[in-house]
Amino acid sequence: MPSSSGTSRRLPGDADIWVFVVGDMLIFSAYFAAYLFTGRMGSRELFLRSEQHLSQTSGLCNTLILLTSSLFIALCVHAARLGNLRLASRFLELGGACGVGFLLVKVFEWHSKLASGLTISTNAFFMHYYVMTGVHVAHILIGLTFLMVVRRELGGAQAPRMELVEAGGIYWHMVDFLWFMIFSLLYLMR
Amino acid sequence: MSSALEAHPGAASASEAVPTVKNRKLDQWICWWSLPIFYNLFGLIFVYLGKLMPPPRPGLTTDEIVAFIQKNAASMQAAWVLLTLSLGFASLSSGLIIVQMKRMTTSPVLAYAYMAALAVAALPGCLLCTTMFSLAAFRPDRDREIIALLYDLGLLSFVGSLGCFVTQYMVFAIAIFLDKRGIFPKWLGYMSIWGAVTELVATPIWIFRSGPYAWNGLISFWLGTLIFVVWEFCLIVSLFRAIKQQPLDEPGNHA
Repeated sequence: MPSSSGTSRRLPGDADIWVFVVGDMLIFSAYFAAYLFTGRMGSRELFLRSEQHLSQTSGLCNTLILLTSSLFIALCVHAARLGNLRLASRFLELGGACGVGFLLVKVFEWHSKLASGLTISTNAFFMHYYVMTGVHVAHILIGLTFLMVVRRELGGAQAPRMELVEAGGIYWHMVDFLWFMIFSLLYLMR
Repeated sequence: MSSALEAHPGAASASEAVPTVKNRKLDQWICWWSLPIFYNLFGLIFVYLGKLMPPPRPGLTTDEIVAFIQKNAASMQAAWVLLTLSLGFASLSSGLIIVQMKRMTTSPVLAYAYMAALAVAALPGCLLCTTMFSLAAFRPDRDREIIALLYDLGLLSFVGSLGCFVTQYMVFAIAIFLDKRGIFPKWLGYMSIWGAVTELVATPIWIFRSGPYAWNGLISFWLGTLIFVVWEFCLIVSLFRAIKQQPLDEPGNHA
């Protein structure tokens, strides 16, 4: 590729983050597979009955929150590419704030489940529910940490390492995508 | 002979300087070579002697637990002796990682946090589990319920403590991402996040006695363990590269 490097379409981020995303998806596939094949297929009645207890409202609410935050992060990366680091930082903070909002809704949702006596040891469905949403919350927390690393990069004295900023964005979109999977499998699938 | 020396006036001083320069990283190399030996010994202790890997089932009856302990008593005690003598070698691995982390452009607080997090995790994750098994083996004619308790405690601390390693993985990943010198490759940071999220899922073992989230479960135990083994291998290779690329005259690189 002698001359096309300036104009060719480049993959955002670097190869490392994409390998990570593929690997993390595979790890999550293990949870999904365990849910579908060791749980749902064996005791369909129980799972259908238990799914009724999940609140589609709070699930949808969190979906919208994460979609909004993904939009802010995309705007952040775009602004950083154009060199407007102050604007990029603002968008990043808004995206992170949405992430915190997601956590608050999740805590509220867990609390209402626990208050009505539905715990991780209630039945197989709630085991999968708490483990999957719990691991996803861990991903949100790691994502917020990643966003803080990016925030430091944008506010630094030197020019930011764009591949790191893009990697943070890719990570956040992945967390968003994983939530769609959980939302469809646990809350919507009937 | 003497004429050859006289022909190169700088030779004498150079030959004085060369041995110290050559040995500058010798201490790090000695520590590095202990790692493959230590981790193989680790495998021998936990897999072959200690009977902790693969973990026996959580659903055993009291009779089966007592039989399991009685049958393997001698090798469990051997595992404890070997582990007591060799667990200190884990600190060499941490020492090397700390030396390399302190070369990063980040605050050394992350290096110290890494060290402390591993020290916390080593106690339940390595020492406590083998201690419980060899304690059960010490008096095999003890009350059977107590033997069953020690069995549970051993395995719950062995697999349940995987969560203690989450901090270490995360501190390491954050340091790698913040570092601008590229001491460790970025992908090792991402692998550390895999490690953190898979070992986190070992926490439900305190609740379930069967299925994917039990202490011998495919997800709780095997997924995290698989990623740990691959991660450890990649860490040792990355350490090799980091030491190799460290300039000899770098400040702080003491002979």
